[in-house]
Amino acid sequence: MKNITKWFLFMSLWMGTACDSLLNIDPEFTQDAENFFNTKEDFDRAIIGVYDMMQPAYLNIWIGEIASDNAIAGGESVNDTRGLHEIENMTHGGVNQELRAVMRVNYTGIARANYIFENQDKIDFEGKELILAEAKFMRAYFYFNLVTYFGDMPLIVDRRISINEIPTTPRTPKAEIYAQIESDLEDAVAVLPATAGQVGRLTTGAAMALLGKVLLYQEKYTEASTVLGNLIDNNPGGYALFDDYSTMFYAANENVSEDVFTVQFSGLQGGDYGCLICLNGNAAVGFQGIRQYTGPFYADGNAYNLPTQDLYDSFADGDLRRDATVLNLDEFIAAQPNSDEITYGIGAGGHTGFFNNKYIKRQGEIGLPDDDLTSPLNYRVIRWADVLLMAAEAFQQSGNDGRARTELNKVRARVDMPAINSSGDALYQAILDERRYELSGEGYRFFDLVRTGQAADNISGFVVGKNELFPIPQVEIDLAGGNWSQNPGY
Amino acid sequence: MKKILLLCFALAVHYVAWAQSTVISGKVVDGTGEPLPGVSILKVNSTVGTVTDLDGLYTINAGPDDELRFSFLGFQPQTIRVGNSTEVNVVLQEDLTNLDEVVVIGYGSATKRELTGATSQVGGEDVQKMNMPRVDQALQGQIAGVNITTNSGAPGGTSNIRIRGIGTFGDNDPLILVDGVIYDAAGLNSLNPNDIESVNVLKDGTAGIYGVRAANGVILIETKKGNLGSKPRLDFDTYYGVQQTASKLDLLNAREYAILKNEAFAAGGQAMPFNNVELGEGTNWQDAVFQDAPIQEYNMTLTGGSEKTSYSIGGSYFSQEGIVGGPKANLERINARINFITEIAPRLKFTNVTLFTREMSSGLPQGGIGSVLYNTINAYPTEPLRVGDRYSYLNNVNDIINPLAQMENTYNDSWVNKLVGKEEIEFKINDRFTWTGRAGYNFAMVDFKAFNPLVWYGQGKFANSAANENLDPVLVDVGGVEIERGANVFESRNTFLDYNLETFLNYNQSFGEDHRVKGTFGLSLVGNRSEGLNGTGFNIPNNDLAFADISANQATGGFLNNTGSFQSSQRLTSVFVRGEYDYKQRYFVSAILRRDGSSNFGPNNRIGYFPAISGAWLISDESFFNSSAIDFLKLRTSFGVSGNDQIGLFRYRGLLNGSATYVFNDFIINGAAIGNTSNPDLKWETTYQTNIGLDFSLFENFDFTANYFVKNTKDLLFQPDVSAILGSYGPGGSPPVINAGDVTNSGLELELSYGTNNTTGANFRFGYNVTFVKNEVTAVPEGFEFIPGAGFSVGGNIATRFEKGYPIGYFIGYQTDGIFQTQEEIANSPVSQPGAQPGDLRFVDKNGDGVINFGDDSDREMIGSPIPNVVMGFNMNVDFKGFDLGANIYAALGQEIIRNYERQQIYANQLSYNIDRWTGPGTSTEIPRLTTGATRNNVFSDFYVEDGSFLRLRNVQLGYTIPNAITKRIGVQHFRFYLAANNLVTLTRYQGFDPDVGSGNPLFAGVDNGIYPQARSFMAGLNFKF
Repeated sequence: MKNITKWFLFMSLWMGTACDSLLNIDPEFTQDAENFFNTKEDFDRAIIGVYDMMQPAYLNIWIGEIASDNAIAGGESVNDTRGLHEIENMTHGGVNQELRAVMRVNYTGIARANYIFENQDKIDFEGKELILAEAKFMRAYFYFNLVTYFGDMPLIVDRRISINEIPTTPRTPKAEIYAQIESDLEDAVAVLPATAGQVGRLTTGAAMALLGKVLLYQEKYTEASTVLGNLIDNNPGGYALFDDYSTMFYAANENVSEDVFTVQFSGLQGGDYGCLICLNGNAAVGFQGIRQYTGPFYADGNAYNLPTQDLYDSFADGDLRRDATVLNLDEFIAAQPNSDEITYGIGAGGHTGFFNNKYIKRQGEIGLPDDDLTSPLNYRVIRWADVLLMAAEAFQQSGNDGRARTELNKVRARVDMPAINSSGDALYQAILDERRYELSGEGYRFFDLVRTGQAADNISGFVVGKNELFPIPQVEIDLAGGNWSQNPGY
Repeated sequence: MKKILLLCFALAVHYVAWAQSTVISGKVVDGTGEPLPGVSILKVNSTVGTVTDLDGLYTINAGPDDELRFSFLGFQPQTIRVGNSTEVNVVLQEDLTNLDEVVVIGYGSATKRELTGATSQVGGEDVQKMNMPRVDQALQGQIAGVNITTNSGAPGGTSNIRIRGIGTFGDNDPLILVDGVIYDAAGLNSLNPNDIESVNVLKDGTAGIYGVRAANGVILIETKKGNLGSKPRLDFDTYYGVQQTASKLDLLNAREYAILKNEAFAAGGQAMPFNNVELGEGTNWQDAVFQDAPIQEYNMTLTGGSEKTSYSIGGSYFSQEGIVGGPKANLERINARINFITEIAPRLKFTNVTLFTREMSSGLPQGGIGSVLYNTINAYPTEPLRVGDRYSYLNNVNDIINPLAQMENTYNDSWVNKLVGKEEIEFKINDRFTWTGRAGYNFAMVDFKAFNPLVWYGQGKFANSAANENLDPVLVDVGGVEIERGANVFESRNTFLDYNLETFLNYNQSFGEDHRVKGTFGLSLVGNRSEGLNGTGFNIPNNDLAFADISANQATGGFLNNTGSFQSSQRLTSVFVRGEYDYKQRYFVSAILRRDGSSNFGPNNRIGYFPAISGAWLISDESFFNSSAIDFLKLRTSFGVSGNDQIGLFRYRGLLNGSATYVFNDFIINGAAIGNTSNPDLKWETTYQTNIGLDFSLFENFDFTANYFVKNTKDLLFQPDVSAILGSYGPGGSPPVINAGDVTNSGLELELSYGTNNTTGANFRFGYNVTFVKNEVTAVPEGFEFIPGAGFSVGGNIATRFEKGYPIGYFIGYQTDGIFQTQEEIANSPVSQPGAQPGDLRFVDKNGDGVINFGDDSDREMIGSPIPNVVMGFNMNVDFKGFDLGANIYAALGQEIIRNYERQQIYANQLSYNIDRWTGPGTSTEIPRLTTGATRNNVFSDFYVEDGSFLRLRNVQLGYTIPNAITKRIGVQHFRFYLAANNLVTLTRYQGFDPDVGSGNPLFAGVDNGIYPQARSFMAGLNFKF
């Protein structure tokens, strides 16, 4: 009996101490987040994670068009991506999955960039400056998305925040965010190379273009004209307008001289609807494809983001950009041999007869299954024509109509449209109109209308003083402790 | 019953008395005339006694005035005066309300008399007679407080076992121990129900002896063991049956379809698609997809034992094909079992359990968009099954494919080899102390192979893998080189090892007549280790199954092929102590304390303590208690704390397991990103449970048990949405798992059983159990209103939620109030409903602001709950002159189901309720108009919610046992044959295939995406005992 008692006392003591060490299991073959950035390769891998977060570009392509007078939501039913239907009708409120996705995607990109800055002093190596410059560029891009959608947003830089800090993190005034964006971009301009070492890496030209755009959005026209003018004059990347506007958006014409800032995609990785942000393909393309289409050239998709009659009619006669931008499907079918064998379906989410002809699923430009999601078509965030038109606007607004006309007419000359000779307000309006002709379907229209104060005149249901910004998703306000005020009017 | 309880036999001692006595001999048999070995016979008021031998025979010295007491566990004892006869033969009657029955309670056992906790037992016979392939299916409706819902009726389809409600957002599976070895709920497929001796469910706080794994209750399954000193007996059981679907949906035929679609297109301002609507019946896709399928089982068991060794050895073969897919959705199972117990030396007992299983199964896509049945429901009747020599394409619908072609092109096979075993040594140190040491293991090797041929289902179908109708491969541009992407095969081999090493000391001592103390102290190490390796090989030659192996791949440069692997470990170390005390076998107290350390948590919160205390008062043994009607009355109460550590591994730390990929130079480059966001303070969730119970027996034949419980689960482990600014929502990323939120389940369970035992006349046994559970979320994390759950329709609203004040997974949507009949009605309505047209559903303005708000949640409210208010089971058995009739009924009442299998596509087929749609003022007040135009009728409202209550005759069986006298001549002890039917009748108002719509995730319960229904089967079977 005594022996047993002793033995058990010993056993339990042993168990209490020695056995607990059995619980110290480390995950196998996985790196710990707190023990990273020990080699150059770790930095190289981390920056890929930041690039990755630019790929959910489909949100910008959709919302920038559907919120404007350019497009309706479309899709299988009004339930299908309901948030887009509400944005189309300007009835969107605090419950909107797509707007929530915008917020999540951009903040994840910021967190991934900040994760690098948090650890930037851990080691030194040749090329670190370049990685930090790329991270700054992208952090600026993500913040720029957030301010244009939501206005004031929490500014978090150079570190990750913990879940406990969230309730005490306020919305930062827009001006402070813009200051951070400008400073990040100026640093990026200074460090990034003129031409990319690998196709798809960021360049100084891209940084200048984005900086110019950021200044333009703040109506800092003089500064914008300086930055954009420098970009055009020095042309570090050898940029030029691509000759053939009609085929510019084909996969075969990717990464050409027109491309200034591009998000790269590949069709070599499959994907599914369970995680659109995980895709390495451009989700917008398949979504904007023709529903149940059987016929030549195009391939079937989900009939999202359908251009309006208003957009189709806005183009001047003979402007080849109309048909390059908007596919008039019935007209296209009628022009085909065996046209009666070509069929397509109509979704209950709306139908205009038009499709986005730039980002559209075409045969031969299809990725791995599910090929509605895995298009290899790159998204052009800023292309050379946009740079020229932004420069034209900045010059015009800062009093240099001559230079404005020069840049504007370069864009028009490519598509054989007559030069514009007006000046003053007429020139200004001509530049804005030209942006619609040149850039429709690419996700900028809504933001252009808002920043130029022309949204209410063109978008039915647009309420001045409210719809300039999107509402912060109510759930995000709640999750942040309920201390943020909602944007006005929502 | 008697089979487990023969230990006393080995301990029996022969005494011999000399004086004034003669030798009395005789035979002891049971009610069916079978000899009973091991019956103890005691001369009353003496210490003289003996036991019966293998043939039930005994001899004892006794005088004519002596009284002999015959007793045997599980039987009513008898006392007989010897008289002048020298031969005393006795028939012992089975005791149906046996309080001395031993129940396994975890690291020990107790008699029913002594139990202080809320437990329920099901005997192996009650499991076997259900003829169900899985134990969990067989338990549905058999145990109060245990609700079992079905995820799929396909062969090998899993169930959800929920003990006393749904306590958490995450893992609700109980801890399942088979002979003390951990068995996960999903792996129950491999357990042969015929191997089961008993099932015991620990439902209340006393399950806390299992600590951090016990919050969802504990199920202890014992497999069959042999009896000491019994002759070898060979049992052979078999049945064969045919299964068919118990229901089909009422869908539109071709004519109805054409008429309704024309109307919908016209209403939407589009051209009508059918010039001629007289298309007759058209294609009945359901008839083509459902088939009759066989089910069969052969089972053999050898049991027996010598004086020191007992054994039970068995083997079985089971096979079941699917009512959808036949051999493409099948399950085959081979089981072997060797259970062996021997006394190595006096006081030293060795137990071996070995269960081997080989399972072979195939599966079809089921339970959601893209499943065979979802496609079957939505395929339209105007398309033939086949066009020429190929399957038809269903070109009018997006992403709905021909279900027959889909079944033909699906090749998924899996093989499971599983070895479960236990080696245990029990050393009886002295009369007071027994030491037990054991090692258990559950090793499974799971192989899987899927062949994905090049297929074409028509233009634009997402499931196409070929480039065109001719099944040409897609060309993929890899770094400027075009290569073919042909058929591929995916293979994986995963191994899972669960192990437990346990040692414990049991102490048992009486002090005087009145005081008895029992104690248990033990240590345990439980762990698991998983490893897996998988690969995909492309360009299988000839697109042919015959070459479906990675070794046959012809992928150009191997570019598309890929490989993967995983490995993980988990450990739990525990120390536990239990003390029990009773006074006069009348007052019982038991206390438990367990200390657990789980590797799932970080160093900050690794160790937890789980106490429980319970007591019972046997009122009927009090001297003041005097009732002729009540034989037994016991009041029990318990309070206990238990935990749940079942979350993903390493969630307390941040790992770089996120996905980071980007495209440079047209190649996808891999980087690194944080996946799991860490929470170093993560800890287990804790369940506090209080139970008050009452057991009583009436008139010797009625047993009654009632339990009332309140179960509060706190610090729920879950992964709620977190603020976007945390940056957790990248590819492969996930927000931190946190402890937040509380859930309360409270309820009442009643169990009632009745039985008679006549050797001559009819015997009647029935059992009824009913459970009322109220489930309510009592807290959600700070800053949350709710946690969203399942979505409705394609890309639609969130339809289920976890929200304070509501049941887990309740349905939220618009309430409807009839149909707008006229434009005037819309115009005059006090509530403006944007976009409303005559014939549209009229929604209720919940917030009273005069507008139906579609842009936010202000007008959405609770419109249903997947949790039944009442669950009950009814079992009965009658036997009369060799005939026996048994039935098992299960009912779940008060829950709702979301009809989520209707694809909202304009050409998809529809349910026939649409025939009664609104077509003009006064035509319908329930079913809205049909249109292809924009309408709010398809937002989630109570129109899509149905009453899911049902009552199901799970099993009915009629058997006949040929009299022993006849079968003996051919050397058979027992020969019975029977006819049985499963799921013969289901009473429900639910329109779907099957109202038993379960989900492992409580937020997806009751969402019917076209569930694979449970088959109705008709079986014939034989039971032999040699």
